[in-house]
Formats: sequence, C-alpha cells, structure tokens
Amino acid sequence: MRHLLRHRWQGFLALTGIALGVAVILAVELANQASRAAFQLAAARLQGEATHRLIQPGGALSEALYVQLKREPGCPPMAPVVTDWVRLSGQAGRYRLVGVDLFAEAPFRGQLAAVAQQSAMMRDFIIEPGALVLDAGTAGELDVRVGDRLMIDYPDRGLSLRLLGIDSTGNARSRDLLIVDVATAQEVLGMPGRLTHIDLILDAGDESWLAKRLPVDVELVTVTEQAAGMTRMSAAFEMNLTAMSLLALLVGTFLIFNAMNFSVLQRRTLLGRLRAVGLTPRELFRLMLGEALIIGMAGTLAGLLLGILLSQGLTRLVAATISELYYHTSVNALHLDGLALLKAGGLGIAATLLATLIPARLAANTPPLTTMSRVVLEQAAHGRLWRVSGIGLMLLVTGLVVALVVPGGVITGFTGLFLLVIGSAMVTPVAIHGLHRLLVSRPLPLLWRMGVRDLDRHLSRLGIAVAALMVALSAGVGVGVMVDSMRGAVNTWLSELLTADVYLASAAHEDGAVLDPKVIREVSASPAVRAVSRYRQGGVQLSGRQVGLIGAHLSTSSRRGFALLSGDEAAVWEGFDRGGLLISEPLAYHLGLERGDLLALPTAAGPVGFTVSGIFRDYASEHGRIFMEETAYREHWSGAGVSSLALFATGGDVAGMRRALGDLLTGHQGLVITSAGAILEESMAVFDRTFRVTGVLRILLLIVAFIGVFGALMALQLERSKEYAVLRALGMMRAQIAALIGGESLVMGLVAACIAVPSGLLMAWLLIESVQRRAFGWTMSFEVQPWLILQVILVGMGAAVLAALYPAWRSSARDPAPRLRED
Amino acid sequence: MRRLAVIVWFLLVTGCGEEDRTPAMQVQVDQVMGGEPGSGFARAMAPRTFRFPVDHGPHTEYATEWWYLTGNLETERGRRFGYQFTLFRIGLQPEMPASDSGWRTGQLYMGHIAITDIAGGMHVSSERLARAALGLAGANANPLAVWLESWSLKGEGEPFPIHVQAEGDDFGLSLELESGNKPVILQGDGGLSRKSASPGNASYYYSLTRLPTRGTLRLGGASYRVSGDSWLDREWSSSALDSDQSGWDWFALQLADNRELMFYRLRDRDGRMHPFSRGSLVGADGGFRVLEPAELRLEPVRYWRAADGTRYPVEWRLHVPAEGLDLRVRAVLDDQLMEHTVRYWEGAVDVTGSHAGRGYLEMSGYSGSAARE
Repeated sequence: MRHLLRHRWQGFLALTGIALGVAVILAVELANQASRAAFQLAAARLQGEATHRLIQPGGALSEALYVQLKREPGCPPMAPVVTDWVRLSGQAGRYRLVGVDLFAEAPFRGQLAAVAQQSAMMRDFIIEPGALVLDAGTAGELDVRVGDRLMIDYPDRGLSLRLLGIDSTGNARSRDLLIVDVATAQEVLGMPGRLTHIDLILDAGDESWLAKRLPVDVELVTVTEQAAGMTRMSAAFEMNLTAMSLLALLVGTFLIFNAMNFSVLQRRTLLGRLRAVGLTPRELFRLMLGEALIIGMAGTLAGLLLGILLSQGLTRLVAATISELYYHTSVNALHLDGLALLKAGGLGIAATLLATLIPARLAANTPPLTTMSRVVLEQAAHGRLWRVSGIGLMLLVTGLVVALVVPGGVITGFTGLFLLVIGSAMVTPVAIHGLHRLLVSRPLPLLWRMGVRDLDRHLSRLGIAVAALMVALSAGVGVGVMVDSMRGAVNTWLSELLTADVYLASAAHEDGAVLDPKVIREVSASPAVRAVSRYRQGGVQLSGRQVGLIGAHLSTSSRRGFALLSGDEAAVWEGFDRGGLLISEPLAYHLGLERGDLLALPTAAGPVGFTVSGIFRDYASEHGRIFMEETAYREHWSGAGVSSLALFATGGDVAGMRRALGDLLTGHQGLVITSAGAILEESMAVFDRTFRVTGVLRILLLIVAFIGVFGALMALQLERSKEYAVLRALGMMRAQIAALIGGESLVMGLVAACIAVPSGLLMAWLLIESVQRRAFGWTMSFEVQPWLILQVILVGMGAAVLAALYPAWRSSARDPAPRLRED
Repeated sequence: MRRLAVIVWFLLVTGCGEEDRTPAMQVQVDQVMGGEPGSGFARAMAPRTFRFPVDHGPHTEYATEWWYLTGNLETERGRRFGYQFTLFRIGLQPEMPASDSGWRTGQLYMGHIAITDIAGGMHVSSERLARAALGLAGANANPLAVWLESWSLKGEGEPFPIHVQAEGDDFGLSLELESGNKPVILQGDGGLSRKSASPGNASYYYSLTRLPTRGTLRLGGASYRVSGDSWLDREWSSSALDSDQSGWDWFALQLADNRELMFYRLRDRDGRMHPFSRGSLVGADGGFRVLEPAELRLEPVRYWRAADGTRYPVEWRLHVPAEGLDLRVRAVLDDQLMEHTVRYWEGAVDVTGSHAGRGYLEMSGYSGSAARE
C-alpha cells in the first residue's frame, strides 16, 4: 500500500481505472432507472387503482359503450379516459392531457379526483371548457399560477386552458399531467364521441359479466399487460446503453490489471526480499489481494460519487431519447437506487480483485531468487504471450460463433460481442511483438528502432495499456459504424418509401383519427392530383407485440417505394391485391414468417388466416407493421375511415397541387399537409437526437482509455528515469529523449488503432448482424465512413501522444546526475 | 329532507372556502350553509299551480331538485327493513354553450341508497354521481323516469305504479310503489315552502305520504320479499339556507291510525328552533293542515356518538298538544349515518307513546356542534 502511495502515478492509474469504470456503469444504470421510474410514476398516476382496461386496438372506443355498460346493474367500477400528448406554446417537450370524469374517478385515482373535487373548483372543472388542474410539480415546471392560461399547440386548434387549481398534495415528481374534464379533452383533442380507453377495477366474476357485453373489436387487457408493452419497447434501448457501460468497466478492468501488474513488477526486489525472509507464497498472495481490495474500495467509492454526478447529465439525455422514441418521460429528480449502487460497487471491487489475481499469483509463485531478476520476468511474460494470444484468438472465434450462430436473444448477441472484445484485447500484445519483429530489422532511424524495441521489451506493462486503448477505440469504431449504417439504411429506406409529393393527415396524434370523407373525395377529384394512395392506420396484438396494421389503397408510385426482400415484385403485388399481407422484416423475423405462410390476425369475427404475400424492409417499428389492401381491411375491421393520403402531383407540379389543395381545404380543420422532404428531415433529426447519448458514451470510454495510457506511460517513464539518466549521460539530448518517449507513445497509439479498426469493424458487424437483428429484427447493409476510421486512428495516436507529453517533459527535464548517483 | 341537494349545489356552485380540503369532497353540512344562490336559475317566489303528472318530472330551470323516497318494509314473517332511495338533480349552470363533446353539461345527478336491516343490526348505503349527459343520468316527466346509471325510478302509468331499482356493492332493491289513497300534499303555502324571511328563499314542495310498496330487497347473499309503505318527497328550488340556520331535524312519520306527520325543525346557530320551521299533519281522510313551531314541542331524549365524536339525537319526544299527540320517536338502529359526499344521519324510526307508527328521520348540521360541546 505504502508503495502505491509513494508511486502516486500508479495509485492514480489504478484508482482512475476503477473509478471511471464504476462511474460509467453506475451513471448508465441510474439514468436507465430514472427514466423507467419516471415512466412508472406517470403510468401509476394514470392507472391509479385500475386493474384492467378496455381498448379498441388501432382506434378509440365509442363512448356509447361506456354509457351502455354503466347503465346495467352489476357494472364494475369503470372510468372513461380521453388522453393524448400535446404541446404547450412556449414550452419544450410534450405533456399528457388526461380527460377524466370526476364522478367515475373516486375508486381509481382518488388523489387526482380529489384535487378537482375540491369544492371550489368542481363546478368550473365540469362546466368551463378548458378548465385545467395540475400537480404541484407540473405547475412548478410550467411556472404557472391559478388563473393563468396555457395555450395548447394542437394543429389547427389554438385552444387555451385555464388553470383552476393546483394539487399541492400530489406527487411533486409527476411533471407532465394536464388534468381536464373528459368533455374538455374531447374538445381539445377533437375526439367527440370517443374514448381513449375505459379503466376498470375487476373482481373475480366481473370478467365474465363484461365478456358477455363487449363488442368483438373491443379488447380487455390488464394494466400490467399494457405497461409491460410500454416498458418492453425501451428495453432494447436500455440494453444498448448497459452494454456500453459494461464496455467501460471492461476497459477499467484492463487498467486495474495493468496497474496491479505494474506494482508487482516494480516491487520485484521487495517481493523477492519478502520471500527470502520467509514469507510463504500464500501470504504474499494474500498481501497483494488485500492491497488490491483497499485500492478497489477506494476507487469504487470515488467511482460511485463520480457516477452519481455523471448520471445527472446522462439521465437527461436518456430521458430525451426515450421520450422521442417510445413514451414521454420527464425526469428531474436524482434517482438514487441502493441496488444500483451496490451493483456498481460490487462490480468495481470484483473487477479489481479479478484483475489482481494474475499479478498476485505471479508475485507469489516465483521463487525468491528469480523474483529479483527483471529479465527473467520479461522473458516469462514473453513466454506467456503466445498462450495469452492463443486464448484470445479462441475467445474471438467463440465470440463470433456465439453471436452469429447460437440461437437466442439480445443477451446472446452481446455475450458474443464481449467475447470478441476480450479476445481481441488479449491478442493485442502479440501484435506489438509482431510489429517489433517486423520493424527491428528495418533500416529505421535509431530512435524509432529504440522506441519499438522498448515497447517490446516492456510488453508486460505496456501491452495492457495498449489493449485498453484498443478496446476503447474499437468500441468507438464499432458503435460508430453501426450508427452510420443505421442512419444510412433509414435514410435510404425513407427516401425510397416517401415517393409521394405531399402527405395529408389528420392533425390528431392518436391512432384512429380519420379524415373527413368529403376531404378525400374532393382531393381525389382535383385535377392537380395525379394519383392518390389512402392509408388506414390500425393495430393488432400479435404475441404480445403491438403491431401496426395498415389498410391501404396503394398507387403504382407508392408501390415502388416498398423495398421488397423476397419474391418477384409482380407476384407480390398480385397477392397483395387479392387480400394477401405485406409484412415488415422485423415481424417476419420475430414470428419466423416467410412468403406464402399463413398469419392469423384477430378480427371482429375471430382470428382469420391471411397469406403473407411479401416481406418489406422497414425501420418504422421494431414490433412490425402489416400492410393490407383497403377492401380486404374493411371486410374484417370496422374502421372504414382513412387516416392519411399520399398525393402525387399532376405533371410533377407540386407547387400547383399545393395551391389547389390550399383552396380545397380552407375551412377544413385539423389537417396537416407535409412534404416528403419535411418528413425525411424530421425523421433524420429524430434519429440523430436518439443517438446523441451513444456519442457521449463513446467519448467517456475514450477518456477512460486515455487516462489508462497516460497512467501506464507515466509509470513506465518514472521507472525508467534511471535509464534515461544514463542515456542523457551518454550524451543524448533532452529533445531526443522526449522524442523517444513521444515516439514510443505514438507507436502504442498506432498499434492500438491498427487493431481497433479491424476489431471495431468486426464489432460493428456483430452489432448489426447479431445484436440489432436479435433485438429489432431488422437488417441493414454495412456502411463504413472512411473518415470515421481515420478519426479513430488519429484519436488513438493523439491520445497516446497527449498522454506522453507530461512524462516526456518530466523525464527529459530531469537532471541526470542525482538519478545516477543513487546507485 | 332533502336540503342535501342544496348543500351539494352549494359545494359545486359557490365553493366552501379554503378550510375545506377534505378529499373526495366529503363535507360537513354546516360548513356550507351560507352564500349566494347561483345566477340564471328561476326562484320560487310565489305559489304556483301544480300539474300532474308533469310536475313529477324535472324542473331544470331551478338549481336543485330531488325525488326522495323512504319507507319501512317487512317480510311476511315480520322481519323489518328501512330503505332510502334518493335522486338529486343539481344544476350547475342553466344554459350551456354548444360543444362537440356530449359530456359537456350543466346538470348533474347524485343518488343515495341505503337499507337498514333492523334484525341484522346493519345499515348499508351507497352513493353515485353522474352528469346528465349521454344518458348516464337524467329525468323525464312523461312517462316519469329519473335515472342515474343503473339506478332508476320509473312510472309505468301516470305515474303509478312506480318502479324503483337500485343497488350498492352487496345489496339492492327492486320495488313497486302504488298510489294508495292519499292525495298529493302541497306543503307550506299551497306548495310554496318558505325557508326564511328573504323572498325567493323558498322551494316548491309536495309529498306523497303513504305509498303501498312491495318488492324485493337484496342484502348480503339473501333476498327478501317485502311490503310496506313509502313516502315520496318532491322539492325544487334555487335558494339557500339563511346564515343563521345551522341544520335541521326532519321527521316523516306514518302513524298507525293512518295519519302522517311531517315536521322539519330548522335550527339556528344556538341549536334553537328557527321560526321558519314547519310541518304538516295529514288526516286519515286525506285532509291536512300546516303545523307551526309554536304548536309543538320537540326534545332530544338520547344521543348517539358517532366515530368522529359527533353526537346525534337518536331518540325524541314530539308533543303536539292540540292534536293529542305525544310521541316517542326512536331510531331503530343508532348508526344510520350516511357518510358520503355530504355527511348526515338518515334512518328508520319507530313511533311509540300516545300513538304507534313508523317513519324516517333526517338530521344534519351536528358535526360542528360536537366540537363546541
């Protein structure tokens, strides 16, 4: 221990390795938990005591059903809910507008109902259009007082809400609920006659009472089922983040290993003496482990503190992404979870001990005499080199096999990925050795040759630092290439899919909003419009997934936008016209469907089998989408309306068509006209926002590796200060020594980058082929941006050189005389 | 009885101040006694001509209205029950602007149902609230129909026989009411019932004092065929109680000699009888007369203490010397407390003393007094 205190750099290296690893793990875990907790809080507040829910898949329920059930004796407690996300003028983010009927609320959300039922408010809440009640937390966030007005930004509907009251007793952490009367919600959201869902509290027996009275297209689900669907949605995303954080710990473990290894090597004299004075190998081993435990604990503690700090920023990023992709969460409070702390802490200490095992055994098991000799040690290290590399190679191959061949879910994919990473890290030292072999015989400048030879000579210490840097860089390559590939794939897919000039849809956000049939007739008849495709947005539950079901009348141009994955195009469309299904790739993957297979869909008249006529590439939903010809759709599902239109301009005159549409649609409310370009732009912006958090994690990883290289170099240079003194005394210039150190670092960075590039590409390939496919079911072509590779090489070398600056300056600045005099 | 709706109406229309933050809007009656009546509603200013069956239906131009049924029933083997079934109409606003939403309305209904099982020593009750929209709740005059979700009071004829159907969690009732042979009693001044000296602070109030009733009561797992007599009070108004009134004791008694006595004692802040307290005595032949406060003495004999400490007089002496009535009115069960949106005591009573009989008693405004004692 005193040794590490004395050799500050080494202590620092070990501590930072653990601390950073632990910090990243904890931060990611906390961020995931915070957004999950925020979601659950909002969901719990919304669900209240409800056990079940009535929903109409792909649409909204008729309020007549509610009234009919309520008027029957024996009706279980039930409450109507009309809800959707809205934006408020001048406010970022979305808010959930929840319309409730106070008189049905008491058994469900007593707390929520009580606010509005505070007598002074109740009357206005019911009779005043736009009357609003907020939680104290939401009111605080919006900075509004009772009596203030809030403008709802609903397309074509500038409606204002007036704040009637604030629930000071409510949960201050719920920050996104706008509570209004069910009538206000229907008015604001343009949902007259319809309910988003009906909440129920069912006892045994109630279910059969209800079953007898439900229309066939209405579904009874438990709230846990629904919540599970929601959380499952973001599980894949969380998994990605967790994997990134584990990579950080892996890099951290390398650093610890490196530091502990170092401290053994450096103290070989001391250890040899200890052995010589009679300490048994077991005692020595224990001594080393005890020391590691202390460092591990200190580092872990620092890591936990750092992780808590880090999690604050990360939480916001993760929440923003989840809000964008899955459901709205607004996270603000720091979510400190004991279990997460324990987990991260445990991992930190375990990683430290694990990383110490080999160096400790090394120290304990060498006989007293040879412990003294360094050359022998390096020789032994070189001997082990091949064994380590062999194991590494084996792991690498196993990783590939596990990820690509072994069946299983995302976990299997990630396991393979980790094996690959560890494998390539273990191969790294041998690559340095190879490089040395390659360069040593070349007519290189002396300094360069010295540098390369030094690296090889100090392989046992530097190898691990290089490996750590390599892992960080290769994660950068892997994730970077994956994100680029995805972006490219999504971009191509969208630009192909959006064949129409202009899209026309109802402004309402929720499913089931339909266009006025008059609008459809008029638009279709307009001479400025060459062709029209109609879409009816619906949904079905298929093996626990909410799958999009679209009844569509597709024009020839729209059909061209589909990237069909198999089958003859003409045959696919012929099948589609005869009532066959076009299913998206993720759905085909998850259900194991192929062209020609039968897929049973729940219809009003029970399950009906449909032939899969084609499979198309689709990134719109990881749960899958199904397209079906409009007439076939109407035969089986009640929704006769059309949700959106794709319009093609006559003679390509888009501006002319837009003008004609403008004339036609004046006076029609709640319509949104968007160009294909705007949709593409918006989608890509969402995509980029989504992956911002991945970028941040990449940088974090690099920082961890940078500190690792810096520490390793620092320690090495300190150890070699005597050597440098000799060189100085032999007449070497300061600049030359600095160049020697700098050159060595540069080579380290270069080696790391050279291995990181192939290993990173391999990793990206696995991420795309195995992890993404297993998690989302979609495939994409592998896309490598040359500048990304260049960037990684430069970053690696830059990091190495940067890390060498201080050691180089220090070593060269020293006056050689005192160092020499020490002997 | 009956003024409960006024209170609910007050709750909704005027609010009752900051101190009332009790959840689920449960309030004590005397906290909401003051205030101005809502604007836009008609007021009961002068006697009017009642027309039946139209007047059995709703009067939405007034702020509050109720159909208030109570009764004492028994099985063939003599097992006795009391029941209360009340539907209140509460007008929040006389006219509502047009809306896309069918839920938007200015009218609400509140319902209370209670059954007292005397042999079982049990009083069960339930409350419902719904808006008069989409058919969730509402009222029609002809044919008579007043309903709140699955609870209903419906006239098969004009309007008799009347069918009553309602249920709570583990109980319910299904009754058929006949007209009997008593006339419609127009209370107060030809149906105008003044509650204070201020003009317009009055209601239109008529009673059907003895309606032969038969049907089924459901309680726990069991169901009982019952028969007996019910009493229907109908009242509508847009008025409030005066600030010097703190509560009331409302008697509706059916005597064995085929007379019926109604008396409401309005209490002032000191617990004394308010001069606008009134009653009526219906003779066996259907003739009736008004009872003035000066004509009778009303004394609590025994109190029952509720869980919250409030003391309710559950046994009374009611003395009308001019009519030779010296009655002992005793709750069949002490705890017949209705703890819902508004807390009050309403329950079946036995009449002994100079005359036997059965009836119903309502008491409100006692919660505050417990604190003062």
